[in-house]
Amino acid sequence: MKVLVTTAFVVLAGAVRAEVLLSDDEIQQTLSFGPWPISFQSDPSNRVSNDTRTIALGAALFNDPVLSVDGAFSCASCHDPEQAFTTSDARAFGRVLLDRNTPSLRNLAGLRWYGWGGKSDSLWAASLHPIIDEQEMGHSKESLKTAISESIYIDDFEAIFGEIQIQDPELVLVNTAKTLSAYLETLATGRTQFDDFRDALENQDLAAAANYPEAAQRGLQLFIGRGNCVLCHNGPRFSNNEFHDSGVPYFLSETEVDDGRFGGLNFLLSNAYTLDGNWSDDLEKQGAWVVRSVRRSHSDFGTFRTPSLRGVAETAPCMHDGSLIDLDAVIRHYSEIDTERLHADGEAILSELNLSEQEIADLAAFLESLSKVP
Amino acid sequence: MSSETQNAPKVHVAVDEIPLAQPFFILVTVCDDIAVSEVRVDAIMPAHQHGLNYAPKITALGDGVFRAENMLFHMPGLWELRVDANFGGQSISYTSDVVLK
Ligand code: HEC
Ligand code: HEC
Repeated sequence: MKVLVTTAFVVLAGAVRAEVLLSDDEIQQTLSFGPWPISFQSDPSNRVSNDTRTIALGAALFNDPVLSVDGAFSCASCHDPEQAFTTSDARAFGRVLLDRNTPSLRNLAGLRWYGWGGKSDSLWAASLHPIIDEQEMGHSKESLKTAISESIYIDDFEAIFGEIQIQDPELVLVNTAKTLSAYLETLATGRTQFDDFRDALENQDLAAAANYPEAAQRGLQLFIGRGNCVLCHNGPRFSNNEFHDSGVPYFLSETEVDDGRFGGLNFLLSNAYTLDGNWSDDLEKQGAWVVRSVRRSHSDFGTFRTPSLRGVAETAPCMHDGSLIDLDAVIRHYSEIDTERLHADGEAILSELNLSEQEIADLAAFLESLSKVP
Repeated sequence: MSSETQNAPKVHVAVDEIPLAQPFFILVTVCDDIAVSEVRVDAIMPAHQHGLNYAPKITALGDGVFRAENMLFHMPGLWELRVDANFGGQSISYTSDVVLK
């Protein structure tokens, strides 16, 4: 009798175990994509970070055309809160057609770099540039100060930052950007089907882990295995937040190129709004080592920041120029990658994966699970 | 660490667990009677033809100990850590392999 019971137990355990396809090594790697959410830390370079009143004002300003010089559109016109803070256009369209795809604004708190080419090292600087960029909101510091003074937000603004009339227009600009940043810091993607799987593995609850579809598990195995995706898309955000060439053409026209990281660094190193500059509120300048020590290299040319893959199923089209219409197209791009297009002096990471239809579907199932509510 | 130079003074590296794509520091200890005037630290990924995206900052702590900070390994895999130490005009190179998961 005793023997029978034991046998039954072993068979049962075996059956459950079979549904978690990952090896111990793969399980260890899977744990590195969490836990999620990441605990929030307020931004030391922004004194109004994590301040409730400022967050509310930031949300209102973000959605209001007052931030564009002619009241033509708001930040939300491109970063639409109803569409995961982007739009379905391949390239952003405001005053003019921009060169790049509008990124979703979720999960940005605490990153080292912002923008496809990393032209900002803080979220408040990344929120400042569009206000004064002629192709975006088109304000000058002076017109912004007037617009805020005459807007319905003036009381809230002054309650936070003091009387506006005695503020230099540049200070008004920075204060406005820090207000927007306080709001943007609160935008994050929620827990997903993948996170439940990952946490179940951590708790060694294989029965719960086995709820995660096998197709997604096989996709995950490809992602950390033969696909090499994890080399760049790693950590809880599925991004190393550095710059790479993933074989997307960077020609804008026959004569023009998008120089990506190269131009991003030029911009960063020639403007005042960095963590090493006077506008940072952090006396210890904690994040300033990044701009101080970043190296420049000719291989920066035409590289772009590795995007986070959380919520990626909601933000098609993909890539810096929106040239790939959905996840299936991205996976096929990596599968058939034209290595001739990669920089000759590049990293030699990507190579044709020649994925089968089944493998393409598996990788898609995995990527989609990074957006699926559990 | 190992060096191709014969009878090179010993160099040790101390490092805690290395976080992926996040900054960390290492301590380099040079064991020799000859004073070390300068230490440089760098790293490359031989498989991917790239090095560090940030220049390490070196501080001499005294007694042949140097701290290299702002080190950042932005990819998992094999990194080759390289230390160049200058002993009274002679520069000696040391390397050590680090595998990051
Ligand atoms: C015309 C469309 C458009 C408008 C309007 C616009 N943005 Fe953007 N936004 C973009 C595009 C395109 C990018 C990517 C730019 C780049 O990397 O070169 C971007 C990037 C960003 C980023 C960096 C995101 C990341 O992943 O690093 C932030 C933050 C941001 N915008 C905030 C704002 C704020 C705040 C406003 C309003 C003041 C605004 N944007 C208005 C199109 C727009
Ligand atoms: C060498 C680093 C690297 C590797 C390896 C890599 N990626 Fe990427 N990935 C990037 C970069 C950089 C971009 C943005 C490229 C651009 O915009 O031109 C990107 C973009 C993407 C996007 C689009 C995200 C968006 O919001 O537009 C997806 C999806 C993606 N990668 C998935 C994968 C998968 C799946 C693999 C493995 C088959 C993989 N990546 C391998 C660096 C990498």
